Amino acid sequence: MENSSVEILLIEDNTNDGELTIRALRKGKISNNLTHLKNGVEALEFPFGTGKFEDRNVSEKPKVILVDLKMPKVDGVEVLKQIKENELTKSIPVVVLTSSKEHPDIERAYLIGANSYIVKPVEFEEFSKVVMDLGIYWLLKNQPHL
Amino acid sequence: MDGREKSDELFIAKKEIIFQNQEKEKLAVELIIASKELAFQNQEKENRAAELIIANKELAFQNEEKENRVAEHIIANKELAFQNEEKKKRSVELIDSNKEVGELEKRVKERTEDLESFSYSVSHDLRTPLRAINGYAKMLGEDYGTVLDTEGKRLLGEVRNNAKKMGVLIDDLLTFSRLGRKGITKSNVDMNKLIETVLSEINQSTTHNAEIKFSNLLPAVADNNLLQQVITNLLSNAIKYSSKKENPLIEIKSVQKNDELTYSVSDNGTGFDMQYVNKLFGVFQRLHSDEEFSGTGVGLAIVQRIIHKHDGKVWAEGKEGQGATFFFSLPEIAKTE
Repeated sequence: MENSSVEILLIEDNTNDGELTIRALRKGKISNNLTHLKNGVEALEFPFGTGKFEDRNVSEKPKVILVDLKMPKVDGVEVLKQIKENELTKSIPVVVLTSSKEHPDIERAYLIGANSYIVKPVEFEEFSKVVMDLGIYWLLKNQPHL
Repeated sequence: MDGREKSDELFIAKKEIIFQNQEKEKLAVELIIASKELAFQNQEKENRAAELIIANKELAFQNEEKENRVAEHIIANKELAFQNEEKKKRSVELIDSNKEVGELEKRVKERTEDLESFSYSVSHDLRTPLRAINGYAKMLGEDYGTVLDTEGKRLLGEVRNNAKKMGVLIDDLLTFSRLGRKGITKSNVDMNKLIETVLSEINQSTTHNAEIKFSNLLPAVADNNLLQQVITNLLSNAIKYSSKKENPLIEIKSVQKNDELTYSVSDNGTGFDMQYVNKLFGVFQRLHSDEEFSGTGVGLAIVQRIIHKHDGKVWAEGKEGQGATFFFSLPEIAKTE
């Protein structure tokens, strides 16, 4: 099905960064079908239809998953790893977000199968542009693998 | 007895006498020969005695020499024994001090690692709230700009400017701490090309009217990326601090002497008082207020760190109001490295 109920899955524990990201996507008019999850545990329940998301139809895949690298308990790398290891979810593009280009997990993230890696800029204009660009790319330009 | 008998007897007697005389003569001759023989033998004995005396003297001399040499050997052996003892002491001392150096090195390494991971997480974790401050100020301006009066907008602008400044500061600090971790990869660097690259980058982000002179600069053996950072920082500074002059002039030169390559970047800008020269290369040390010349105070600290990593030196000369010259030298290394 081309028309999935959730197009963007945002996994971001920081409320402020979450709000800024959603605002930027909204500006680009691409935030309609967005789900914001605030920790890694929920992030793993959602795509596999477990826990809180038991009733979810897992065949409806988000077009893109944006995941923050640094989260308590289950971090972005773990989320990415499980998504990419599972047949059901491994074709979903995953964009890793982080505050710093210095992060030691950058290389690991790519090795595990991150589709893109974005450093969140301090400047709001830049941040908005980056988020909008990646939203437009993954939602509108990228041909999803079915 | 008759006459005949007497003359016969006389004749016999004469013959007897002649014979006896002859015998005497013979004996005399033999005596002479024997005497000569004796004299010769005596001479020989004397000669041998003389030779013996000489030989004895020689022997005595040789004995003396031997004794001397033995004495010398004894002294030399004592000296050797002493030196061996000293060597033993020194090697024990060396082992001790090596242990100390090893421990010190270990501690320094641990401290450095601590500091680096600390500055990394500080830089990383500071960016998140900063992004929020900056973002929310922007949102406030976008959503409530119409409700804010001029002063309200100015205050909001100050919030955003400072957040932006802090972002730059954190980035500089990250660059600085990254330098501690990174190794250097040396190659032959064409300084003329490198400066042109740096200048075209600077010209994209900064408008200035400085005249920049350089020609036939000597090639360096250094880490290309790091040296580019050094030149970027020095040239940006020269442009910044000469920007208030009517005809800003910047010159880049190179000289080679005593196995050292020295490069200099000089400007005719605001300069500095030599009594503060030792503050120039410290982290967060500035000689000007932000209103006069903006900056974070990390640029020259980065320059120093990079040059020190190349086993080189940095220094500066200046005069208030009359420009400054920044020097860095690199040890000359075989170009084949």
